[in-house]
Amino acid sequence: MIEVLEGGIQTTVQDFPGRQGLLDQGICPAGPFDNLAFRLANLLVGNEPGTAGLEITAGNFQARFDRNAVIALTGANMQPKLDGEPIALWRSYRVASGQTLVLGSVAGPGFRSYLAVSGGIDVPAYLGSRATYVPGAIGGYEGRALKKGDQLPVGVVTGYLDDLAGRRVKDAVTPSYTAEWELEAVPGPQAAPDYWTWDDYEHFFSHDWKLDRNSNRMGYRLEPHSWQWARTTGGVAGGHPSNILDNGYAVGAVNISGDQPIILCVDGPTLGGFVCAAGVAYGSMWKLGQMVPGRDRIRFKELSIADAAELARATEALIDEANLERV
Amino acid sequence: MVEELTVGETNGRANAALLAETPAQDGRPGAVYRSAGDRFLLAEFGPMELDLTLNFRVLGLNQALKDAGIAGVIETIPALRSILIHYDSTVLEPSDLIAAVDRFYAALPPVEDLIIPSREISLPLAVNDQWTRADIAKYVQFIRKDAPNIRDGNNIDYAAEYNGLRDAEEFVDYLMATPWWNAANGFFPGLPFMFPLDPRYAVVIPKYNPTRPWTPEGAVGIAGPCLAIYPVPSPGGYQLIGRTIPIYDAQQRNPAFAENPILMKPGDRVSFTRVTDDELIALREQVYDGSYTYQIGDGSLNVGAYLARLEEIKPETEAFKRRQGEAAERTPVP
Repeated sequence: MIEVLEGGIQTTVQDFPGRQGLLDQGICPAGPFDNLAFRLANLLVGNEPGTAGLEITAGNFQARFDRNAVIALTGANMQPKLDGEPIALWRSYRVASGQTLVLGSVAGPGFRSYLAVSGGIDVPAYLGSRATYVPGAIGGYEGRALKKGDQLPVGVVTGYLDDLAGRRVKDAVTPSYTAEWELEAVPGPQAAPDYWTWDDYEHFFSHDWKLDRNSNRMGYRLEPHSWQWARTTGGVAGGHPSNILDNGYAVGAVNISGDQPIILCVDGPTLGGFVCAAGVAYGSMWKLGQMVPGRDRIRFKELSIADAAELARATEALIDEANLERV
Repeated sequence: MVEELTVGETNGRANAALLAETPAQDGRPGAVYRSAGDRFLLAEFGPMELDLTLNFRVLGLNQALKDAGIAGVIETIPALRSILIHYDSTVLEPSDLIAAVDRFYAALPPVEDLIIPSREISLPLAVNDQWTRADIAKYVQFIRKDAPNIRDGNNIDYAAEYNGLRDAEEFVDYLMATPWWNAANGFFPGLPFMFPLDPRYAVVIPKYNPTRPWTPEGAVGIAGPCLAIYPVPSPGGYQLIGRTIPIYDAQQRNPAFAENPILMKPGDRVSFTRVTDDELIALREQVYDGSYTYQIGDGSLNVGAYLARLEEIKPETEAFKRRQGEAAERTPVP
C-alpha cells in the first residue's frame, strides 16, 4: 500500500496505452500524457512498460510506503526527496516500509513527473485500463485525482529488489526538456488547399505558438489567429468556414475552432464539427506532457506519414532494457 | 479504382492532406482518403451533405472493416459520412490501408439492398423541464441577456418560429413524430448524434452563441439538424428541448449498463414519449434503484423500403422545407 500524504496539483493513476478501441463510443484513451518518461520509469523498476503508475502534474506530491519496494521517478524535476535525502531522476531506488517520498515544485523545464513502483499500482481496471479519465470520472483511483489519505494498492513484485534498484537510464537516451519546443506534425485531414490557404498552412508551420494557460489533458489552446480560409462558409455544417459535418477526431489532432487552434490531447473529444488541420506525430506525443501552459512555445515541424512512422519506431526503440545501466 | 495522389510526400505537392480518391461509380458515391496524422486515416464518402444514405453505407462498411480485422488497424470511428481509421503506420502502409478500405467499399452491396441491424429505443421526454430551464436562466443571468434563442426562459418558442411552426406544441409534436437515427457516438462518452428518419419533420436550429457553460445530464438538445442527449453535465451549444433518463452510467448500476456503461449504439432508432417533470423524477428514481427496464427492442432498418417511403412522402417533405426556409430567413440567428 502507498498512502497519499499530499495529492498535489493533480496526481492521477495512469497506464499505457490507456483505453483502446473505444473512440467510437466517445471514450478517449487517457493514459500518461508523457508516455516516454512513464514507460522508462516502469522499465527501471522491472515492470512491463505500460504498468499503472502515477502521473504527477506540477509537483507538491507526498506519499508514504508501507512495504519494501523499488521506485523510480522520471520526467520533470520536482526535487524529490526520500526521507529528506535528495534522490535522482531516471534512476531506481529501494524504499523501505515507512519511508516517505516528498516532491516539491518543478525546477527547470518540464511539467509532469512519473512515479513507477515495482509491481505497479493495482487499482481495478475499468473498460480494459487503469488510466484515470477525470472529466468522465472513470478509471484510476475512484475516477479522480489523488488526495490526502488515499490508500493505493500495489501489485505483486516479480523480481529481486536489489537487482531492480540502482539502475539508471543512460544519458544518451534521457529526454531533454525545454521551454521552446519543436513538435513534429503530419498534415490534415482538413488542411490546404481545400480548407486552409497555403498561406494559412505556412503560417501554422512557421509561427512560434504560445501555449495558453487554459490548457490541460483534454486540449492545448494556442493563440487565436485570423486565418484566411480557402472557403467562405461551412455550408450545411454551419456558417463559419471552420465548421464541418462532424467526423472522428484523431488523438493529437490540431483542431481549428473558429480562429483558435486547439491540440486535442489524450483526454480530448473523440468527434466533432471543426476542421483538423494537422496531427501531432505519434512519436512526439510525449512532448505535450512536458509543456508548461502559459509559458512554453511550440514550433511545428512538418513530417510525412513515412517520416513520422520512422520517428515512432525511434521513440519505441528507447523503451528497452539495453538503454539502462547499473549506477 | 483508387487514384493514389501524394502518399508519403510533403512539400511541393498539390494537396497537403489528400492521399487518394475514388470517383463516384455505378451509383456509389465517391470516396476521398485524407491523412489525419501518422496514426489515423479519414475516409469520406459522397458530398458534404446531410444524407442518411451516406451513413447507411458508412455503417455497412464499418461493420465489414471490423469483421475483416485488417492487421495494423486498431479501431474505426464511424460518423455521418466518414470513417476515421486508427492504425499503426509502423506496420501498415497508408497506401495498403487505403487499397484495403477501397476494396471493401467497392464490395458493399447497393445501398438499397442493405439491411442494417437497428434497435428501437423508447425514451421518456419531459419537455421544457425545470432542470434545463434552470441552466437556461443561468445563461441569461451570467452569459447573454439578449439571446434571441431564449424566450420566456426556454429555447422551444424560438425553435418553433425558426422552423415556421405554429407554436412550441407543434414543434414538440414534430420531434415526437419521427424516429431519430443514431449516426455516431462521440465527443463525450456515449453522446449520440441523431438525425430524423422522417424528413417531413426534419427541424433545423442554429447553435447557441456563445456556448452555454452548463447543461444537465440527460438533457435533449438540437442544433442544425442533429439531436443530442447529454450523457454527463457539460458545456453545450445545442438548443435545449427537454430532459430524459440517464444514457450513460460509469458505475454500471442499472442492468441496462451491465455490459457497457453506454446505452446507445450507432444505428439505434430512438423515439420519445412525453412525460411530466414529476413522471420523469419517478422514472429516474427507478433507474437509480435498478427497477427500471430500458425500453429496447431488436430490429433492423431495410434501406430499400426506407428509400421507397422517402419517395412517397417527397411532396410533403418539400412543402415543409419551403415553409421552414422562409421562416428561417426572417428569424434572427443567435
